[in-house]
Amino acid sequence: MFFRLLMESFRRQRRRKALAGLAILLGTTAVTAMLALALTIGDRIHNELAVYGANIIVFPTAEQLDVKIGGVDVKPASGSFLKETDLSKLKTIFWANNITGLSPELPLTINTSTAGGSPIAISALGLWFNHPFTDTLKTGAPSLHPWWKINGAWPTSNDQAVIGSALATKLNLHTGDTLALPELASHLTITGVVSTGDATENQLLLPLSAAQTFANLPNSISRVEVSARTKPEDAFARKDPDTLSPKLREVWYCRPYANSIAYQIREAIPGSQAEQVRRVEQSEGTVLARISGLMWLICAAALLAAGFAVSAAMATAILERQGEIGLMRSLGASKGAIAMLFYAETGLLAIIGGTLGYLLGSGLAAWLGARIFANEAVTLGTVLNPVLLPVIVALALVVAIAGSTPSIRTTLKMNPSEILRADA
Amino acid sequence: MKTTVKTHLTFTTMLRRSLIHRRGRSFSALVAMTVSAAVATALLTLYADLDAKLHKEFRSFGANIVVTAPTGSKGLPEDALARIKTAAGPDAIAAEFAYAVATTDRGTSVVVAGTDFDALRRLNASWQVDAWPTAADTNAALLGQRAANFIADERAVKLTFAGKDITLRGVGRLKTGGDEDSRIYIPTSAFHAWTNVAPTVIELQIPGGAVNVESALTRLQHELPDAKVEPVRQLVEGESRIVDKTHALMYGAVLLIALTVAVSVLATLSASVLERRRDFALMKALGGSQTQLMGMFLLEALVLALAGVAVGFVIGSAAAWIISQVNFHTASQPRIGVLPLVLLLNVLIAAMAALFPVRVLRGLQPAALLKGE
Repeated sequence: MFFRLLMESFRRQRRRKALAGLAILLGTTAVTAMLALALTIGDRIHNELAVYGANIIVFPTAEQLDVKIGGVDVKPASGSFLKETDLSKLKTIFWANNITGLSPELPLTINTSTAGGSPIAISALGLWFNHPFTDTLKTGAPSLHPWWKINGAWPTSNDQAVIGSALATKLNLHTGDTLALPELASHLTITGVVSTGDATENQLLLPLSAAQTFANLPNSISRVEVSARTKPEDAFARKDPDTLSPKLREVWYCRPYANSIAYQIREAIPGSQAEQVRRVEQSEGTVLARISGLMWLICAAALLAAGFAVSAAMATAILERQGEIGLMRSLGASKGAIAMLFYAETGLLAIIGGTLGYLLGSGLAAWLGARIFANEAVTLGTVLNPVLLPVIVALALVVAIAGSTPSIRTTLKMNPSEILRADA
Repeated sequence: MKTTVKTHLTFTTMLRRSLIHRRGRSFSALVAMTVSAAVATALLTLYADLDAKLHKEFRSFGANIVVTAPTGSKGLPEDALARIKTAAGPDAIAAEFAYAVATTDRGTSVVVAGTDFDALRRLNASWQVDAWPTAADTNAALLGQRAANFIADERAVKLTFAGKDITLRGVGRLKTGGDEDSRIYIPTSAFHAWTNVAPTVIELQIPGGAVNVESALTRLQHELPDAKVEPVRQLVEGESRIVDKTHALMYGAVLLIALTVAVSVLATLSASVLERRRDFALMKALGGSQTQLMGMFLLEALVLALAGVAVGFVIGSAAAWIISQVNFHTASQPRIGVLPLVLLLNVLIAAMAALFPVRVLRGLQPAALLKGE
């Protein structure tokens, strides 16, 4: 009997059910889309913030200070280097998966000659270009400096190099030209001219292994730039891990703060010093926190608005059917049975509307995300977040039931004969 | 004339009675209209401020324009800083730097920079400094954390440049993770008296993203044609990208939420109009014309819409204020400017809600309805 009543109610009152269902559907669509966007906004903004370059730098514990003004080495320091082979140890640190890129470098001076034939010493930098670091991660200087613009191609072998635009003008070199290195009995093919907007424009960029050979410093690197996905710094992150109790130290160590990752890098690479680049890291943290905070608050606003919309729709749907309730009561149905019927209807609507809303909202979030943040792989796994489904359906159920409760209670309190007379 | 007044009276009485008699329904319709107005107000207020607020967050990245003296020159002209400040506008922060390579008491070469600590502090919010020296303290030195390791006595920092000694009081350590860690910062006056080296670099921060930076670049280059005026490329590009994307995201969110609320409100209101088919039939049977009835429904919906806007604007402005305060730590003042748009939106929803069911009602036969189907 109960199921027949339920089924008939859906079959006969299609328009009313459609209206209430539509409210739930739209509400859950908006909430799902906002939640799905808010959940992924952190990673997306982090990817965008990657344009600022490395947020951690690693350098050897020095016996000497860098004497750099405006990015130019006034008095090149000599002596201390890190080992390139030690970089593979970064794969074993606790937050290895959060390292999204690294770029080791080795500066050197190369003697060559100008177009006119007079000898000249140019500064050069050995770098990784699209170097396979792990099976999935190919990294190097271009990926850590997205603002570098190349006219040509990055070097792919040891006899190739790219040249900074200012230096290229000075030496009158173009893509495809050959730079002779008489002292080293070698030559480099220029595969591109790079514009960087900083001191690198006056340098020759060549593959790291070629630089190591030329400088006769096998396996040496002087500095590593690391880009890592980090958690914005809070008061706890600023603590010195060595002053914490072992338990708290463990907690500190296992959080992806820039400080903890730098600490782990120091542990992994012997003789190294790792620091967060505060200008990038601190500011990224603020920007990330503001934008994701904004998304969550908008999400809350969406939830509130959807909640109001759904409960208002449910309340109307119940109020409309006072006559029906009066009739059922006068025919002897108990209050409990009627409430059960209405709640069952509401629940069914919420489950159907919530599920459809989840699908629609996920699709909408994926579409919006792809429109706004370009070059992203869209797969079914990234579009549909399985955790959201029960959350959304549960939310829809709670809101719909909470929204219809006051109306059901008011109507049940009324005298059935009064309702029926008023309706007639 | 008399008839008009009578109609008018009947209209208001009917309206009042209709709103009061069906208190529950009027209330739920009013709530719906209030929610739609509040959401629209809150989102529009936030949206209007968004770019300014986001650009403000990007100030912590520091300087976005660097002015350098031409190579081979003796530094920037003496009045360069004042001229740049005038050309850049009142919102810009500018700090000038003079550099010299000195020797510490341990015999290590170190870069010493002469600058104005107040400007340095405002320009670089992200730096970690134990204690900033005051501008009045002409004998203070800020030691980069790596440079500090090469100094025997941090209280009395002894530096030598071209045979001339200077002893400064180290007030704090500086931690940035960049080249600054290997430098020592001292006040311009002390630096100039000691080395007689003129400033060569002015770092500037222009708020407001790529467009402002571009126009500032032109103005600055015009002011100092010899100097090299360059943007810090990654900062300028990154800021615009992120602000644009967040803006687009907010736009999508605003549209989505507004649409949801609008359609839900429409559904609620339409249902409450449709439910009054019997009233409609009765009024028609008593001689009401189609236009009069439509006007009646419309007026009722509009009254609710206006009440909704009045309450919703206050709630929405409060919500926007709270969201700004919580997230950006600055208040978003209520904007009267969004009111017309909110009003238009709500009136549109109300009008649609009242008129949409009329099509359904028009086809009904009053007699059939009154007879009970």
